[in-house]
Formats: sequence, C-alpha cells, structure tokens
Amino acid sequence: MKAFSKDALAIIIGVIGFIIPFFLSIPGLSEAGHVALSIFIIAAVFWMLEPVPIYATSMLVILLQVFFLSKQGVLFPEVSAEYAPNAYTDFIGTLANPIIILFLGGFVLADAAVKFDLDKNLTRILLKPFGSKPKFIILGLMIVTGLLSAFMSNTATTAMMMTVILPIIAKTDIDDPMRIGLALSIPFAANIGGIATPIGTPPNAVVIGALSTQGIDIAFTEWMVLAAPLVLIVLGFSWLILLWMFKPKTNSVPMDLKGSFQKNKSAVLVYLVFAVTVVLWITESLHGVGSSIIALIPVAVLSLTGILDKDGIRQLPWEVLWLVAGGISLGISMESTGLAEWIVTSIEWSSFSTLFMIIGFSLVAIVMSNFLSNTVSATLLIPLAVSLATSGVAGEGFSLILISLVIGVSASMAMMLPISTPPNAIAMSTGTLKTKHMTRAGLAIGLFGLLMVTLYALFYWPLILN
Amino acid sequence: MDHKIYILIVEDELEVMDALVKDLEKFETFFPVETANDATEAEEVIDYILDHDHKIGLILCDHVLPGKNGVDLLIELQQNPKTAISKKVLVTGQAGHEDTIMAINKADLDHYIAKPWTEDELEKVVRDELTDYVLSNEDNLLYYMQVLDAEKISDAMRKNKMTDH
Amino acid sequence: MENNPGISWLNDTDTILTFIKKVISELPELRDQIEVLEEGDLLFLQGEPLEFMYLILEGNIQLTRTQPDASEDVLITLGAGSFAGLIAFTTGEPTLTSGRITQKGVALKMRPQQFEQYLNDHPRLKHPLQQLMLNNMIQRYKSNLRLQTKTHALSKQLNKERNELKAAYQQLETTHQMLVHQEKMATLGELVAGFAHEVNNPASALMRAAENLIDIYAEFENSHYSYQLFRLGLHAEPVDSNTQRKRMHLIEKKYPWVYDRSSVRKLAQMPDEALDLIDKHRKKGEIDSLVNHFEAGKMIHNIRIASKRIANLVKSLKSYSRQDQNKEELADIREGIRDTILVLSNRLKFIDVNLELDDIPKTCANIGDLNQVWTNIIVNACDAMKGQGELTISTQEKDHTIVVKISDTGPGIPEDILPKIFDPNFTTKNQGAEFGLGLGLAISHEIIGQAGGSIMAGNRPDGGTEFAITIPVRDDC
Repeated sequence: MKAFSKDALAIIIGVIGFIIPFFLSIPGLSEAGHVALSIFIIAAVFWMLEPVPIYATSMLVILLQVFFLSKQGVLFPEVSAEYAPNAYTDFIGTLANPIIILFLGGFVLADAAVKFDLDKNLTRILLKPFGSKPKFIILGLMIVTGLLSAFMSNTATTAMMMTVILPIIAKTDIDDPMRIGLALSIPFAANIGGIATPIGTPPNAVVIGALSTQGIDIAFTEWMVLAAPLVLIVLGFSWLILLWMFKPKTNSVPMDLKGSFQKNKSAVLVYLVFAVTVVLWITESLHGVGSSIIALIPVAVLSLTGILDKDGIRQLPWEVLWLVAGGISLGISMESTGLAEWIVTSIEWSSFSTLFMIIGFSLVAIVMSNFLSNTVSATLLIPLAVSLATSGVAGEGFSLILISLVIGVSASMAMMLPISTPPNAIAMSTGTLKTKHMTRAGLAIGLFGLLMVTLYALFYWPLILN
Repeated sequence: MDHKIYILIVEDELEVMDALVKDLEKFETFFPVETANDATEAEEVIDYILDHDHKIGLILCDHVLPGKNGVDLLIELQQNPKTAISKKVLVTGQAGHEDTIMAINKADLDHYIAKPWTEDELEKVVRDELTDYVLSNEDNLLYYMQVLDAEKISDAMRKNKMTDH
Repeated sequence: MENNPGISWLNDTDTILTFIKKVISELPELRDQIEVLEEGDLLFLQGEPLEFMYLILEGNIQLTRTQPDASEDVLITLGAGSFAGLIAFTTGEPTLTSGRITQKGVALKMRPQQFEQYLNDHPRLKHPLQQLMLNNMIQRYKSNLRLQTKTHALSKQLNKERNELKAAYQQLETTHQMLVHQEKMATLGELVAGFAHEVNNPASALMRAAENLIDIYAEFENSHYSYQLFRLGLHAEPVDSNTQRKRMHLIEKKYPWVYDRSSVRKLAQMPDEALDLIDKHRKKGEIDSLVNHFEAGKMIHNIRIASKRIANLVKSLKSYSRQDQNKEELADIREGIRDTILVLSNRLKFIDVNLELDDIPKTCANIGDLNQVWTNIIVNACDAMKGQGELTISTQEKDHTIVVKISDTGPGIPEDILPKIFDPNFTTKNQGAEFGLGLGLAISHEIIGQAGGSIMAGNRPDGGTEFAITIPVRDDC
C-alpha cells in the first residue's frame, strides 16, 4: 500500500479531529461548544500543517460556522439557554470589519507606491544621510525598512530592499561577515517594523479585529503610541546584535542608488494620496476620523482616477483579507459558544501571576509563530486571551487590551527560522547566509523581544491605556 | 517542486559536451541537465521530459550537428508551442552570419555564445536566461533565488504584491 | 553570246567621245557650251545645288567627299567621257560631292533643262549621249561591286582579328585570376606558417602539461585505489548521451546512495571497474573525492585528445598551403589529397569519405596548386550533397599517367551546363563567400592544363558527379 502523502495525512487528521467532538459529551461544554471545538480543531490542524493554503482554511472556517453555528444554519435555529446563535452575517461580516477595510486601504496604497516606484525612491532619499560607513549603512537600511514595512507588507518591503542590498553584497568580499549582517538586517527590520502600525502586518489586524468584536476600538495613533516605542528599541537592539555577531570588515560600503521620482500626473497624484492618507492616519487622535474611514480615500481616489484599474483590483491580495476575516470569525464563535471560556476555565489560572501569564503568552506566541504563520498564531491565541480577560479568572491586572497586545506583538517577534516569516524566507533564498546565522540572531532578538514585551506590558502600556 | 525545469544541451562532440555539462553543474540542484548528441535525440529527450510533466527552461544548442543542424532544430522548437517558451541559446564556433541571423529572426534566439566560451560568460548567459524563464513561467520564484539573478527576482517579487501571512 | 556588232562601237567610250567631239565642233551652239577646265579649280562644292552637268571631254576631275569629322575622302577620279554631277542632275538634289579639277582639259557644260533639248534638237547626239550615260552608270556599278567585295573581305579580316583578341583577353583573364589566386594562396601560406608556429607552441605546452600532470598525480596520489581511479579516467572512452542516459537509470537503481544528479552523471561515464572501486571504497563523505579522481583523469584525457587534434590540424594546414607555390617537386599526390581532406574536415564532418588510394609513383607537380583542384572539386561536391552523402576519391596509375577520380552522391550536374563548367566565370552560386574556396573550376582546369594533364566531369549512371583528372608522370624537375 502506498503511504499517504503528508498533505493527505494532515487532511485526515483534521477531518477526524473535526468529527470526534460530535461523538463526545464534554461536561461543562455546551452543545454548540462541541461544534465550535470541532471547527477549532480542524482549523488549527489545517493552519498548522497547511495541507491547504491558510486562507482556504479561513474560508472553510467561515463556511462551517455559517453552516453549523449561525442562526440560519442547520444545527441551532433557535435561541436556547446555552447558546444564543449569531446571525450568519456576524461571521461573513468580518470581511467588512473596519480593520479589513483599513488593510484594503493599505494594500491599495502600497500597490500604487510600488507601481510608481515611490518605495524605491523614498529609500534612495532616506538612505542618503547615512553615509558610507558599514554600521551606519546597516542602521539606515533597518530604519528605512522598518518605516516602509509599517505601511507596506513586510514581504514586499523585504523584496524591494533586497534589490538595494544585493548589489552591495555582490561587491563585498566573500569572507566579510557583513554580507550576513546585511542579508539579515532587512527581514528582521521588516518583521519588527510591521508592528509599528495597525496596517503593518496581519497579526495586528487580528488583535484589533478581536478587540473590535469586544467593543474596543483602537485608533491608528493609539496603536502607534503603544507599539512604535517598542519597535524602535527592538530595532536598535537588532542593529547592535547584528553588528556584534557579524562585524563588518570593510570600512566603506559603495552605495549608488540611481533613479528619480516619476513626474507624470498619475505619479504626483499617487504621492499626494500617499502623503495625505498617511498624515491623516497618524493624526487620527487630532481629527477623530477613524483610520478605516480614511482608508477608503486611497481606494476611492485611485479607482476614480483609473490608477487602480480592473486588473489592479483583481490582483490585490484578497486572500490575506480572507485569512484575517476567518481568524476574527473563529474568535466570535469561540466566544459566543463558550468554548473559549471552557478552555480557559479548565486551567487553574488564579495560581499564576500576571507576570507569569504575560511571559507565558508572549513566549507561546513567539514560539508558535516561529513555526506557524504569524497571523495563525495570533488567531489561535487571541480568543483564549479574550476569554481569560473577560471571564475574570485571571485576576485584575489582566487587561484585555494588554494581553491582546502582548500576543499580537509577540507574534511578530518570531524570526529564528527561514519558515518563520516570508521576509526570512527571502533572505535565506539569496544564499548569502546559513540557517544557523538566522537562528542565532533570531534567538537573540526573540529573547530580547520577550523581555521588552514583558517590560512594556508591565510598565509602559498600562501607563498609556489608563 | 512537483515539476523540474531542465536544461538541455545538444552537442555532438563528446569532449565539448563534457565541458559544457561541467560548467553547468552549479545549476544542477535546481535545473537538472539533460544531454543529446543530435537533433533527433534532442527531440526524443524533449518529448520524454514534457511527457513526464517536467519543463524545459533552456536549450543550449551547437550549430554543426549530424543530420538537422542547430539553427533548424531551434526554429522547429520555436514553432512547437510546447517548446516555444523555452529559452534558446546557440553555442557554436562556426555558424555563418546568415545562419545566425536566421536563428535570431525565426527561432527567436535568446543568445549566441561563440566557442571557445569562458565559464563566466556561459554562467552569466545561462543565469540570465533561466531567470527570464522563471520570471515569466513560474510562481514560486523564491525557490530559484539563490542560483539565479536574485536582484531581478527580488524586484519581480516586489511587483508581484507579495504579502505577509 | 555574240555581241551585236552594230552597237559594239557604242560600248567604246573613246569612239563615242570622238563622235561627240566631232558633233560639237560642227554645232556652234554647242561650242559655246564648252568650258575650259583649269587645274586646281573647284568645279562644284558638296552640299550646293548643281546648276550644270559636265561631260568631261579632256582632263580629270576628282570627286571628294567631306566626312562629318571634316576629313576629306577621295572617292573617284573622273576622266574623259565621264559625267560629273550626274546624280545631282538626275535627282535634282544638292550635290553629294565636291569636284576639283586635277588635270586641265575641257568639258561640255549643260543645264539640265537644256539637256532634253539637245537630245531633241540633235537626234544624232541622242543615242551616243544616252550610251555614254549608261556606260558611266555601268562603270560606277562595277566600282560599287568592287567596293563591296573589298568591304566584305575587310570585315572578315576584322572579325578574325576580333576573335583573336577575345581569346587573348580570356587567356589574360584566366591568367590574371590564376595570379590573384596564387597570390592569395601565397599570403595564406605565409599566414599559416606564422599561425602554425604560434598555435603549435601552446598546443605542445598543453600536451606536455597534461603528461606532467599525470606524473605529478602518480606521485601525490599514492593511495592505491584513488590512483587507479585516475588511471581509469585517463583511459575512459567518452560516452554518448543516449548510452549515458541509460546508464544513469542503472546507476540510480544500483547505487541508491548517490543522490544528486551531477554525481549520477559522472558515475554513468565510468567503466564498471571504476564503479566497483568506488562502491568498495566509499566512506561517508568521500564519494565526491573518489569521483573527482576519475574526473581528473578524464579531464587530462580530454586535454590530450584536444591538443593532439590541434597539432594535427595545424600540421595539415601547413602542408596544405605550402609556401613554395610556384615550384614543382617530386611528390606523392596522395599526401596532398589527405591534407586537403583534413583541412576540409569541418565540411566533411557528416560525409562518408572513401579513400581508395592505390599506390602511384611520385611525380613532378605543384602540390599546393593541385590541392586547390581537390579543394574546388570536394567543396563543390559537399555543396551538391548538402552536407550529407558519400565522397569517393581514388587514385590509379595507367600508362605512365596518374588518374584521380572524385565522385559524390549528389544530384549530378545538369547536362545542359556540363559543357560550360570549366569556362571562366561560370558559377552556380554567389561568389566571394569564402577565402580560398570555390575559386572555380576554370582555375582547376588551368592548373591541370599547366601540369600537362586533363580534367573531365561527367555524371555517373547511378547518380552523382564524377571528376576524372589525369596527370602524366614526370621526373624532370
């Protein structure tokens, strides 16, 4: 008999895991909770083992929820004492969640920026002040990468920055450790930079989306005030650790970025829309207009002016939006069916201190997202954190926002392995470094991140949130 | 990777073939090399590769071959929709002017390498051509990045609307 | 037929003239018409209308004609009894000639309108005058006939001379082509000599280096099996790609421990003996270096083969394009044929060449020139066969002549152009494409002719063309 392929095996495990709760009666868990558990299991298995693309799993999650758990579904048409079924629009509505719209705006903006080489030209301008000394060049590269990845996808930023550093690497002596330092600086900065804004990376969206279903809205500026200082310090640490681990031998780095800003009408309009949108986002607390609403400005303006055409719209990364929506949607039913609470209450949380729990969640998030997609890690952990906070079992110091932030931010601190994030994979594929280099540097940054998240969660964030 | 992208070398002199294969060894982990001594054998090898759902990324072809010559072979492969997308490079010491012009016009020849070649030259041509092939025909660019033109592939990925997940 | 005696006297101009003179002397009105001709005077001028016609009674008038280029041709000298201005008189058009008196005398001057009248008034004169006129005409007709005959003879002569010139020109042209060709070959010879020297140096350096490498390897690699692998590589026969593919499949099955494709290919090129050695001595991580011992041997083998090929090519190129172009020497024609074939090996790559070279005596010949003949014929044959077919070259000795036959399996030469192929400038293809080749069969013809031999072309009954060259055996150089 031919052995099952890895993918087939994963699907079988997922499906069996999905079926089991239907035949079990778990004390303390509602009937709907059993169904939610089934969906949670199959989603978790599929997300972790990836027999199908992760966005497809998200679509499956929404389908299963609508089908089995919604009021219009087949199992729970009536409200009962145990379970007040959500309307199916609650599940599919996650696709129009403000954070999704905010992301859509970010995609459109980034797309236009790449189309008109705004990202490259900004890099060229921003790198100029950093001179030609290797350590400052690396610092400059990391700052620019971090900045861009706060507004564009980390992956696209990394790919773009690779075109900047590959010629430098090619001109550097083969035995100069700076090659490795350079190749690592970009993905690390991109991973870290993504934390800085709500649209920086999908785990942020998962956190904000989950909080919004709890009635807590986090403004763009508010997120930045919470996250950006952390980003700066981790970025700075990463720079130092990379310089220390891969000490450059050469004294000067040739840097001749060529190019010029496009000056046609469309390009100028894109610059304008980009500037206006970003300024409006980061000044949200001044004018009070929600970032998701502002996100519609680039979408509408660029479509109206034809810069975003039919093909452009088709090519937007819709699958990322589905992925995040599926995650938010899963959280909704875990919450409403009492599944999350049941998982939470099955552990004696009160015996753990707040510090322990912060470290615990942060550590688990970092470890998980080193092996899994960051978004998936956040998606699987957030519902637990939400229940933990709302059920009150965790004690007073355990604020909902705080723990969500810990998870969201920690999910982006994972960069030990090539598979940890797409930017890591890109850096690895250049062939300039070995996995052990990435693991060593990534471990140091992960540990420092853990430390910083803990410190921020204990001292800085409570200060801001209160 | 469920399909492989092959490099096919068509050359009748075994010592020369040996040298070509040797110079392309560094691509072999990603692009397996197949060889043929004449046009007929080349066509058989191509059919075999395509029938097994693999692809042919690059054909390096000598001009002076027993039977059908290199230019004619490349023209024929260009007209076959299955091999039209493959990159075609003529490696020869003796194609006349007219033959070469014909190859460029009709076979959509991508490059011309004169014998004797240098390793660097051959490597660069093969790298460039395979990069072009991969960029226009493959989805998973990352896989080929370390053996091909990483800068070009990075830029293509940047434009491909890459996302995090 | 007997002449009529009644009018025979009329044929005699003198008699008629005497008669007319007599009549004139009798008739006073005619006497007035007598004009004295003074030597040197111009009687009438070409192109002017003629008022009078003259019957010359005594003296001479020379008729001249001014040609368009202003030169003056003497046409005829009219003596006594001739009419001057006869044509202009009868046609009424301007005179075609000028009349100059070259000997003084007298002439009867007549106005045209008077003439009729004389005839009518003097019936005695009518007949003699008419006869005289007729005589004049006859005379002129006769001279015309003479002229024509003369012209004909002249043009015949001219034609002959022209043909001779043409032949001489053709001869000159062939000689010129020949000289240019010889000059080219001499230049080529010089180039080749220099080139051969320059190439031979690196080629022999390559050869020596390969041999030295072998010795060094023997010293370094004293571990038995790795040197053995090297020796095996040194004598490995190259494997064609089809066999190699088959062997690669075998290797993959037989030695599952080889994982990457490059190694599989390298193993597939090894003889079984080498495979067994590797299988026996492989330790973890050592396979690559074992394979490399074999590879090193194979590479040195390749260097050896390649440098030998270079040396051989240079050698035959050198003897093919001998510098002593214009010297005959006692030589074996077959060597030239062999050199030619080696030099043309690129063209002959995919053609089966059959050499049936019987023993032939050495002869006095210009081998360099003869090589050109072989080249011309072989290159034409290759073109005719479109690069694929069979080429047969044979040599024989018959009655003190050497016969070289070159035949191909091409389509043959069309019968209608067969007689023309040795003409100078005959070609079926665009000229000037390649240096030293395709200079035409005319030169071949010339070269063989100079050697005292002959060249013939014909189509064989079973298809293809056959050239037969015969060269007499000489030892007078």
